[in-house]
Amino acid sequence: MIHETAQSGLWARAQRTSVEQLHIRLESFIVLIVLSAIMAVLSPFFLSLSNFLNILLATSTIGVLAIAATYVIGSGGLDLSLGSVMGLSGVAGAYVAVNLGAPSPIGLAACVLAGAAAGYVNGQLITRAFVPAFIVTLGMLGLARGLALVISDGRVIYGLPAVMVYVGQGRPLGIPMPVIIFVITAIVAHCVLAYSKFGRHTMALGDSESAARAAGIRVERHRRILYTLSGALAGLAGMLFMARINSGDPTAGLNYELTAITAAIIGGTNLFGGRGSILGTMIGALIMGVLQNGLNLLAVQSYYQQMAIGAVLILAVFIDQYQVRKESRV
Amino acid sequence: MTLLTLSGIRKSFGAVDVLHGVDLSVDKGEVVGLVGDNGAGKSTLMKTITGIYRADAGSIEFDGTDVLPLDPGARRELGIEMIYQDLSLAKQQDVASNIFLGREPTRKLFGLFPGFIDKARMDREAASIIARLGAHLPSINRSVGSFSGGQQQTVAIARALTFNPKLVIMDEPTAALAVREVQGVLDLIRRLKSEGIAVILISHRLNDVLAVTDRIVVLRHGRADANLATARTSMSEVVSRIVGGGDLSAAAMHEQRG
Amino acid sequence: MQPFFARINRFTLALGVAMAFAAPAIAEDGEYGVLMKTLANPFWGAMAQGVEDGAKEAGVKYFLQAAESDQAAEPQLNLCNTMLERKPVAMITAAINSTNLLPCLKAAQDAGIKVVDLDGNLDQAVLDKEGIKITFRIGSDNVAAGAQGADYLVEKLGKDAKGPVLVIEGLSGNVTGQRRAQGFAARLKELAPGLEVVASLPGDWDRGKAASITNDILTRNPDLVGIFAANDGMALGAVEAVYAAGKGDQVTIIGVDGNSDAVKSIKDGRLNASVAQLPYLVGKQAVENVKKSIAGESVTADIAVPTLVLTKDVLDAGKEPMLQYVK
Repeated sequence: MIHETAQSGLWARAQRTSVEQLHIRLESFIVLIVLSAIMAVLSPFFLSLSNFLNILLATSTIGVLAIAATYVIGSGGLDLSLGSVMGLSGVAGAYVAVNLGAPSPIGLAACVLAGAAAGYVNGQLITRAFVPAFIVTLGMLGLARGLALVISDGRVIYGLPAVMVYVGQGRPLGIPMPVIIFVITAIVAHCVLAYSKFGRHTMALGDSESAARAAGIRVERHRRILYTLSGALAGLAGMLFMARINSGDPTAGLNYELTAITAAIIGGTNLFGGRGSILGTMIGALIMGVLQNGLNLLAVQSYYQQMAIGAVLILAVFIDQYQVRKESRV
Repeated sequence: MTLLTLSGIRKSFGAVDVLHGVDLSVDKGEVVGLVGDNGAGKSTLMKTITGIYRADAGSIEFDGTDVLPLDPGARRELGIEMIYQDLSLAKQQDVASNIFLGREPTRKLFGLFPGFIDKARMDREAASIIARLGAHLPSINRSVGSFSGGQQQTVAIARALTFNPKLVIMDEPTAALAVREVQGVLDLIRRLKSEGIAVILISHRLNDVLAVTDRIVVLRHGRADANLATARTSMSEVVSRIVGGGDLSAAAMHEQRG
Repeated sequence: MQPFFARINRFTLALGVAMAFAAPAIAEDGEYGVLMKTLANPFWGAMAQGVEDGAKEAGVKYFLQAAESDQAAEPQLNLCNTMLERKPVAMITAAINSTNLLPCLKAAQDAGIKVVDLDGNLDQAVLDKEGIKITFRIGSDNVAAGAQGADYLVEKLGKDAKGPVLVIEGLSGNVTGQRRAQGFAARLKELAPGLEVVASLPGDWDRGKAASITNDILTRNPDLVGIFAANDGMALGAVEAVYAAGKGDQVTIIGVDGNSDAVKSIKDGRLNASVAQLPYLVGKQAVENVKKSIAGESVTADIAVPTLVLTKDVLDAGKEPMLQYVK
């Protein structure tokens, strides 16, 4: 009754390999390479080690948020509070270190803990009070931003201890610390999502909650963990930016939730859950980073940059849909 | 040898009596068709067997054990497995992920971190189960959603098999299938039988029921109204028992409706 | 799948060609990098115009970039880092807040690039701690601008006038708004103690919010005689609220910026005055002074570009020489 599909040729094989082993779609990677090549041709400043590190540095906060977005969206959820929680976390860490005079490690931990706490509240409200994720995290978007402004009195809290600043400005082996932290986080997040039980259950949950439930996965508990994790990652992003500018900025991360979601979607995450990978998301974030960096080098106005990113988003989803439809037309 | 014995099962939801004392037995390796009009109580009966509903009265004995006090998880461990009509598949995940969802074989990543999936082993075992079913899928690594209805049914049955069931209850497995795929699913049911697994087949498609079952139980108004040996019955008899008594004109109409 | 490959190639080609045409001149030695908060505001637009004219007159090359909004702190920092890749000789920066550009400015300084604080958003104490030495700071003196607003109010109402006055601040915590409000309040107290500031509330640079605040205060102090708003947008919001309450003749309203909407409202006789900043002049002088500094001439560390009180009389007479810089 079941027929072998007549898929052959190099492309098909490459595609299958990409899906099986790397959990990404090859197209996004090609777009990234092509885009980089174009930028290299157009700007003599593009191809340099320092610019490459610039791109990674500029992608680090958004990249960490995009990891969170991939997990939550992959599970069929949504976290609109990412950017605000990032802002809150940076302020919390700076407040603890500067105003309360706590030692650096505690200041750094305070960022992640503040983020995790916000995420934990999100998770509790979503799974126990049955308020939709969209509403809860939209509410948290306002709550966290407001709280950040209250704690900081609307001002940046400047003057972190040296150790904290090193986390943002240090360059061991010439590589900026935020880049190192970002890359390690991405690798761990990729392995967990692609190869661990927790990660696979996350995607299965986003795919079909009833299937996950039937398989004995504790759906509510899993969601609570995911939102807490999402908040903690937002906290990590907040920590990176705080350390970079040596201050807690209550307006940090404004609208970043949308940028993070964009990166995840360009990277092949299904907006309705069930599919996505960190490697794909990182490619998505880098596509945006390269585009922005290249256009900056060419001194193209930021308005056009926003248009370009919007266009890439739609194009990416178009290609994705095209492929998905092709696959299901077997 | 009797595998499952239900006697005097009663179930009501508030003021609505759904089951009024159902008696039913299934032998080891037997395929029993459960038919009846909409609202006859088929789904409720199956859910009292799997333990999602608790019967108000009566007894359920499975493989020599009184399962009435057991929860669905415990009954599943004894070997009662149900495949729902929607199949409960995660459509964007691949075959092995679906078959082993929630019970993935794990290993330690780099020998250090626990909780990582042994994908190679999972794929291997998934492939061997599919082969055991005599089925053939385009690729074990493609998302299940890209498969046809029959292929998805195969995955759902393969998943059920990994629990080493003694009884598989299937709810309308052929309802949404193209004609050419129905045979494949019926073959799978025969394969289960040949392995000594009993099957309760719930279906509106009487042709399929007649083709694959050993016995047909007609549920009507919350009772097992008829118990027919498939070899000695006919389409018209089954239909007339479904719609009630000897009302053959109504039976003919039902038959026309299919 | 083959046509798909072809499709990607075609797309690539089209994009490449389009961008090749769009590509601006490749950088040369001696470029100035100009980084603004945003261009989505006539104030910064006028400053960009000043930069352009200044650069043309001085015969220097520059490239100007801006973040997507005046709250995009991290994007502006990333943009700043990228601009350094072009190795400018000077970075003229209008930071979104007092700290967001610090790592970039430090890197610029380390690379021997002159750093200029455009519009005075940096905090000297912070700069000292970070070890960043800016070449100069240029912008309007916001405290003085506020004081000029008070001067106008007292001139109009008289030294012995009495009555409640409302101050609408900017975004809570924003230094610019605070300085203007403080400058106004301090001078008012000095000149006419009878005019009492009964409320000083943050309007968040928001026209609608300023209108609501005005409404609320008019309810509490129906005899309100003056309103000072830290920018024109909020002042125009106050104008709407005051006129809706039928108190247009009773309340004197003063804004800051001198933007085109405000000029129009002043000419219509609704807004009483706006303390005009001259962003065009700020941009122009910034470039001129960078050139001087690079040539080795000494430059004042703190260049205050004057502000000008626009009223109906001033605008109608049109004799004020600085009016040409009001854009």
